[in-house]
Amino acid sequence: MAPFHFLMRHLSNRELSSWFFLAPVILIHMLVVAIPSISSLALCFTDWNGFGKINFVGFDNFIELFDDRVFKKAIIHNLIWTALFLTIPIVFALMAAFLLTGIRRFQMFYRFVFFFPYILASIVNCLIWKYLFHPIHGLTSFFNSIGWESLATSPLTTKETSLYAVAFVDGWHFWGFLVVIYITAMYQVDEDLYEAADIEGASKWQKFKYVTFPSIRPMFLFSFLIIIIWSVPAFDYVYILTSGGPAYSSEVVANFMYFEAFRNMNVGYASAVGALMFIYVFFVLGFFWSLRKLGWEI
Amino acid sequence: MIIKNIFYSIIASSILFSAAVNAKTNVIWWEYSEEGSGLNDALVKYIQDGFNQSQDSVNLEIIFKEGEYNEATRTALLAGVGPDIVSSSGATYVAKYASGGFLMSLEEVAEKNGWKDKILPWAYNTGVFGGELYSLPKNYESMLYFYNKTLFEENGWSLPTNLGEYEELAEKVQAKGMYPFAYGSSGWPMTHEHLAGNYLNTVAGPDSVYKAMIGEKEWTAPEFVEALELLKKHMMAGYWSGSLENYYAVGWDDFSAQFHNREAAMLQIGSWGFEIATALEGDEWGWAPLPILTNDGGEPNYQLSVGGTLSVNAASKNKNAAAEVLNWIVSNRETIVEFTKSRNFGAWLMPLYYEASDFGDDVDPRLRDYLVDFSERTGNGHYGYTTWTYYPPEAGTHIWKDMEVVWAGDITVKDFLAEQQKLWEKARKNDELLPIAAR
Repeated sequence: MAPFHFLMRHLSNRELSSWFFLAPVILIHMLVVAIPSISSLALCFTDWNGFGKINFVGFDNFIELFDDRVFKKAIIHNLIWTALFLTIPIVFALMAAFLLTGIRRFQMFYRFVFFFPYILASIVNCLIWKYLFHPIHGLTSFFNSIGWESLATSPLTTKETSLYAVAFVDGWHFWGFLVVIYITAMYQVDEDLYEAADIEGASKWQKFKYVTFPSIRPMFLFSFLIIIIWSVPAFDYVYILTSGGPAYSSEVVANFMYFEAFRNMNVGYASAVGALMFIYVFFVLGFFWSLRKLGWEI
Repeated sequence: MIIKNIFYSIIASSILFSAAVNAKTNVIWWEYSEEGSGLNDALVKYIQDGFNQSQDSVNLEIIFKEGEYNEATRTALLAGVGPDIVSSSGATYVAKYASGGFLMSLEEVAEKNGWKDKILPWAYNTGVFGGELYSLPKNYESMLYFYNKTLFEENGWSLPTNLGEYEELAEKVQAKGMYPFAYGSSGWPMTHEHLAGNYLNTVAGPDSVYKAMIGEKEWTAPEFVEALELLKKHMMAGYWSGSLENYYAVGWDDFSAQFHNREAAMLQIGSWGFEIATALEGDEWGWAPLPILTNDGGEPNYQLSVGGTLSVNAASKNKNAAAEVLNWIVSNRETIVEFTKSRNFGAWLMPLYYEASDFGDDVDPRLRDYLVDFSERTGNGHYGYTTWTYYPPEAGTHIWKDMEVVWAGDITVKDFLAEQQKLWEKARKNDELLPIAAR
């Protein structure tokens, strides 16, 4: 009973009722997310194959990982992936959102068009682009027929372009989401600021630079944060379009982890990859938390 | 009043019926779903209904699992539940399930019912781990060479019997603006291992492959290097779909169309390729075992492969009833022949001791010839090894995944094979090797 009395003494009624209502969610989260996550993290110190005996191997999995050429390649690809998503979709989404806020007619139609790929299942998006890129009956075949031989090969099947081609398809589906969140943020900007800018004779670009962008900065930084975090487990588009190939040219960490766990049956080794992914996300969150402590609006 | 009586009668008979059903022992079997091709319906018709009608004490129910059914099965087994009859994609899974103690030994059932006299020995042995039988082979496969017979006759081409003829034929086909072979890896990159296995077994030869698998030879031996160098040379020469890039972009539907539309003259694929060949319209097709790709050629071999297994869950409360189902399958050759015939012998071709009379006159003679030839040749020791039946997990993934690295020119064949050697040594050390058909 002691903890109960302690809580009663130190928490207000309001706080107690908050915890009371949060309790079911916390319980479900513990059972479904936290405990399985922690136990799977514990597996990174074992050589478990997913079925049999579990042997403790200390840091062997991590030592082996840092010597694994495919893992190193996958990390570099994840960094490239993150850099691509932090630039191209963001720039396009900002431009589209800003232009859309200036139009009155058919705005909902355009918003729907941009957002539509985001609501499609990844397998559908991937199949569309696989067919478009197909060298025999896709767009690439058309380019071949008109003599543009440099575009006659599917970018998914050459090692120089495969990662960028997969990122392009994923970015094509993702950028509409950014457009919608930026538009929502832009609608919150005080109209008086635009009126003041108009009186001062500001151009469209100056209005964007000095009014719109600073006003949506929290949302912009939030999009930065989610892109960095979501880039870590990037998997479905890579798996469906290239399986990480050809020759590991589009291999990413999550796909590597999947193959280790479910093809090579190295569950302990795959858990070590998962642990490193967790640590990376933890540091990213810590970094953004520090910015917040420094007074940044995030 | 009459309506009321009828209503009561229906209720009473429903209760009696469910009581009768409940009196039976229920056996649950999880199987991967292949709804589109009609395999699910056929499995229910021939196996589920066939078994249920054959006796009164056990009620078999097959539940089809969408997606990666191996993963669903593994999760269920780890949780101490799962189906009574466990289906898996192959020996790799059985080895892991058996080592984890998740499967019941079928040794006693097999001995009591004489399974050894009913199942082909090489296939029987793929389910033996630590001296005990843990799985039944569901289907056997091999790699074959399909060709457009009409096209061959029109151009005066003949089937190659050695490396020189093989390369000469490929050049002739390419000169006609066609691909020598229809094939590609889009959607199923494991096709690389089909090609690698073909070259290892027809260039280096099955004796060398066997020695390497049992550790009497290194995978870096010159014959293996030569085999994979030759594969690389042919891949770069556009034998499969015209170029390496096309090969990566082409999937099952595409390469079937290539074979059907005369875009390609031949198709090197597993025996499941009968499904593609039998759909060829307008032209005649033929098949042959893969030619031996050395200067002198030689006696062709069939690579052995088991596709899919059946076992009994050690945690099942109805182990005996589940074993009874498996015994019914093994002992009902006629039903199995009917079933596999309905699938054009592309599925559920259980490796049983068949006789020519089993197949009847309505079977395509080309299919019958293959089944008979397979039995004769393999019976005479002319057999090789598929990578997906005999390779341990890591070496099995490496053979197809890293083959792309070789084709990309990022590593040499020798480096690739050195890595294979390491993975085989690791598997041997960890006691992860699968049962290998001896020579």
